Amino acid sequence: MAGSAGGEFKAEPNLTPLLDVVFQLITFFMLVINFSNDNYDKRVKLPVADSARPVEDANQANVDRLVLNIDHEGHLLEGNEVQPLHKAIETIKRHAGFVRLGLKVAGKKPDPGGGLPTVIVFRVDRDADFSSLNSMIKACQAQGFRKFAFKAMSGS
Amino acid sequence: MKASEARRRKAQAPDVPIAPMLDMAFQLLTFFVLTYHAAPIEGQFMMNLLPPQPATAITPESPSEQPSDALPTTLRTLPTILRAGGGGRLDQIKVGEQSISTDTRELGKELDKYFQDPDLPFDQTLIKVDPKLRYGELMRVINAFSDAFVRAKKPPKLSFDELQPGESE
Repeated sequence: MAGSAGGEFKAEPNLTPLLDVVFQLITFFMLVINFSNDNYDKRVKLPVADSARPVEDANQANVDRLVLNIDHEGHLLEGNEVQPLHKAIETIKRHAGFVRLGLKVAGKKPDPGGGLPTVIVFRVDRDADFSSLNSMIKACQAQGFRKFAFKAMSGS
Repeated sequence: MKASEARRRKAQAPDVPIAPMLDMAFQLLTFFVLTYHAAPIEGQFMMNLLPPQPATAITPESPSEQPSDALPTTLRTLPTILRAGGGGRLDQIKVGEQSISTDTRELGKELDKYFQDPDLPFDQTLIKVDPKLRYGELMRVINAFSDAFVRAKKPPKLSFDELQPGESE
């Protein structure tokens, strides 16, 4: 009697449902995680604009884009490098060269107006002055870019 | 006989150890929870900005498209001037010939008069911006214009250029 009450009871909780839930959570995080944060430079504090629309349209999301991050002093942030205007112009020129080469390889022609199809996406710090931004825009226009997007935070 | 067979089957059933798998799963979960950062919701304003030239048509889809109206572009463009004060803050907004409040709501009401009046031909705007104006202030104005276009059920067509010294004093 005493022996049967000793080590016979063994707790065996059913861990399978718990494992299912954990795997579902892992799947969720694997789907939403984004390792490529190269476009989001944390040094740039964007302004807030309620009317700024997130890129939801599939056609809009698939177009070729070049993101330019500009800090509060009006310098271009290219990776870890902070580029003043003269260096930024060289960078933009280099990117325009790549776009033209890409078009040539793909057998496509630029727009009849001579503009490149790439959309230049400006992520500009809210404290940067307009003259810095305008200089960058002019540098892009000089290289044949015509389509621009200006980023802002949606909602307050 | 049947009872002994059932006991034998139970004894032969594979005992898959769940606990190590659960440990591994929890470690993976911890990694994802720690590395997850919700991306901020960013929006954008799309614009076609051509190099400065007289009487430029601002078309949102393609620069090569021709406007269907007979009116020249200059008559359909609402000229706007933004001047900066101390610290790059917005000091003055001039829409047409009229100076208006820098308050966004007031600006919105004023823009509604221009864009919702069927007798006025304005369907696009060219904003001349003081070079010292901060980008955040410019976006505030562009936001007000964009809202006004939406309220007037017109496609937002706006562009900007740098205000030259001595221009429209």
